[in-house]
Amino acid sequence: MIEIGHLAAFLALAASLTQGVLGLTGARALAGRAAIVAFVVMVLSFATLLVAFAQSDFSLALAANNSHTLKPMIYKLAGVWGNHEGSMALWCLVTLGFGAAGALWMRTGRDVFEARALGVQGWLATGALSYLLFASSPYLRLDPAPLQGAGLNPVLQDVALASHPPMLYLGYVGFSFVFALAAAGLMDGRIDRVWAKEARRWALAAFIPLTIGIALGSYWAYYELGWGGWWFWDPVENASLMPWLIGAALLHSVVVTEKRGSFAAWTALLAVLAFLFSIMGAFLVRSGVLTSVHAFAVDPKRGMLLLGGLVVYGSLALGLFAVRAPKLDGGKPWQMLSREGALATNNVVLVVAALTVLLGTLFPLIAEATGRTISVGEPYFRLTFVPMLAALLAVLPVVQAWTWGKADLSNVWKWAAGGVGLVVVFLLLGVNLWDIPLGAAFGLALALWLIFGALWEVRRRAVTLSRVFRLPLRVWGMTLAHIGLGVFIMGAVVETTQRYEATLALPAGGSGTVAGWNITLKDVHAIEGPNWYADKAVLTARKGGIKAEMAPTKRYYPASRMPTTETAIHKTGAGDLYIALGDRREVDGETRWVFRVYFNPLIDLVYLGVMLIAFGAFLSLVPRRRTA
Amino acid sequence: MVFRTLFLSLVAFGLALTSIGQVLDDPAEEARAQALMRELRCVACENEPISQSSAAIAEDMRARVRVMVGEGASDAEVRDWFESRYGEFVLFRPKRTGMEGFILWGAPFGLLVIGGLIAFGVARRRKAGADPVVPDDI
Repeated sequence: MIEIGHLAAFLALAASLTQGVLGLTGARALAGRAAIVAFVVMVLSFATLLVAFAQSDFSLALAANNSHTLKPMIYKLAGVWGNHEGSMALWCLVTLGFGAAGALWMRTGRDVFEARALGVQGWLATGALSYLLFASSPYLRLDPAPLQGAGLNPVLQDVALASHPPMLYLGYVGFSFVFALAAAGLMDGRIDRVWAKEARRWALAAFIPLTIGIALGSYWAYYELGWGGWWFWDPVENASLMPWLIGAALLHSVVVTEKRGSFAAWTALLAVLAFLFSIMGAFLVRSGVLTSVHAFAVDPKRGMLLLGGLVVYGSLALGLFAVRAPKLDGGKPWQMLSREGALATNNVVLVVAALTVLLGTLFPLIAEATGRTISVGEPYFRLTFVPMLAALLAVLPVVQAWTWGKADLSNVWKWAAGGVGLVVVFLLLGVNLWDIPLGAAFGLALALWLIFGALWEVRRRAVTLSRVFRLPLRVWGMTLAHIGLGVFIMGAVVETTQRYEATLALPAGGSGTVAGWNITLKDVHAIEGPNWYADKAVLTARKGGIKAEMAPTKRYYPASRMPTTETAIHKTGAGDLYIALGDRREVDGETRWVFRVYFNPLIDLVYLGVMLIAFGAFLSLVPRRRTA
Repeated sequence: MVFRTLFLSLVAFGLALTSIGQVLDDPAEEARAQALMRELRCVACENEPISQSSAAIAEDMRARVRVMVGEGASDAEVRDWFESRYGEFVLFRPKRTGMEGFILWGAPFGLLVIGGLIAFGVARRRKAGADPVVPDDI
């Protein structure tokens, strides 16, 4: 069975190679057919891996190393991509999927351009499949087959995390097709409105799942790691944030190219960089060059191959860019104080923000070479990344009404006065009434400013209420995404500055008070799941008239000899009461259980905001109704 | 031997008891201690601050932060103490000194300035004949 899958992957490689050659020679129809064939055989190949995992066929080395007969079916299937080799198979599948989707749905009317885009995608797929087959094959057999598998890393045994990699890969690898479009456009010498219209759709198609994937990963870290936080500036998280920031810059820049023909070279560069940052993320996560809490398939040799791929693709694309960019059409003229100027500012800040994340992530390595051991963590990003994005967002409500070419500045002073007034009010309230840090007061003002600004823009464009629902979906998409940013900031500011944490050590029947909640431990008893056993604490949390039963659990997975925390979360309108079970301690002959108790105010707004951004991007992707 | 083991385990329990749940009485001091715990790196873990590590050493380090803050040490004094004990590695807020500190903290600002200058430069070259055009959708 798995041999068929192995063979199918070789066929996919052959089809991708054909697609690459035919595409670059300009044969649109044939390259498209090759792309579809490659995708179909790779689906077959991936299906054989899924079947082997579902049947717990431990003669497959990958299943033996990463699965277990006692696992629930969903985690058996998710086990396929919960490891290095299988996740590379998923990477290949998605690369081929985007190639096939491109073959079916590109609509530029430019045959040679589309053929070249498919050709470049074919070469990207060839590289990925070669890496899969020759450097990290998931298809290898074990003889004799073991009776039992080693099990999936238990912290990965979770619904959010099972769906996190496919989402993330749809995003990362989705940028491969944007890369291919940019390379083909540069070969063509035409990065124009037709090109931008096409590239924008594919950039959105990658950006949406990337956004959702990052949110899923963050939500998982929030409730599974048991530390109350949702973003840790860990290298692995940073690796996903960088392509997201470049993607966000690209989505803004490509609009200028679509509407005005300007920023052509810059947009093409961002389109190339988004995918290069994605590969670099894979390299950072898998090579073991950086220490991370989520160290994943650490193998320097595989890392070197990924780095090699990054260098080859990067230098080819950037070389092509250097040759062709000077010849691209410059588009319509514009002044700094214009819609173009505002979007250029957006791009400068988003790209510098991505580079700051890169610098902070890599700097410990660079410093080590000079003999200094430096750690870069949350305080660094709070003092660099956060202020530059805050400054950018502060001007957004003012500049979003600006016209192309040259802005009408007659209202700017009113807006500036309104914004400064809002900040002053919040700073005064924050210091005198709420007793919160100045940064937090500023953050709250910024959040409201963004939400208000986005709604005001809808009002301005619609003029009358009846026309609000006839605004183009793209306007709604933009509005929701910008409101989402405001909602996110509100949640993030309140959660990070007002989070309350405490540790309780309770005997059975004992109680303690945290953040106004009276918490009583009823008892702790042992329970058993399909492939784990656990201590389950039963607690009652009371505040005012509210009563909540909470049951934080500590699981132990014998197959991998690892404990995991299953936190108990009680949602209130104002935030989460969050309890994680810690160790058992004997104190004066009495058994006490340690609990970490958090109150995380408005945490849901963090995820609601990010989902609004993804939904806004989705509305922007919906094609315009044709009025004919 | 038995007595020694018993004594040591009693000491260990005592230490465990004092370090769990022992929060500073003054909420402002406790908040300051917790903020410091979030920016000190656990020396035995993979890239985690001591605020969120269950390692024994992280527990000791947390207790030390509370003791120092309780005795009135400033944030800088706490950071310096940990740095002298464990090296610069322990600080998640890297120092601004030396060539490395200058590059790390200066680069984001420098890049913003360079990017801004480039944007202004391009706008200046391309401004001839710019007319306002109302956007059709976004």
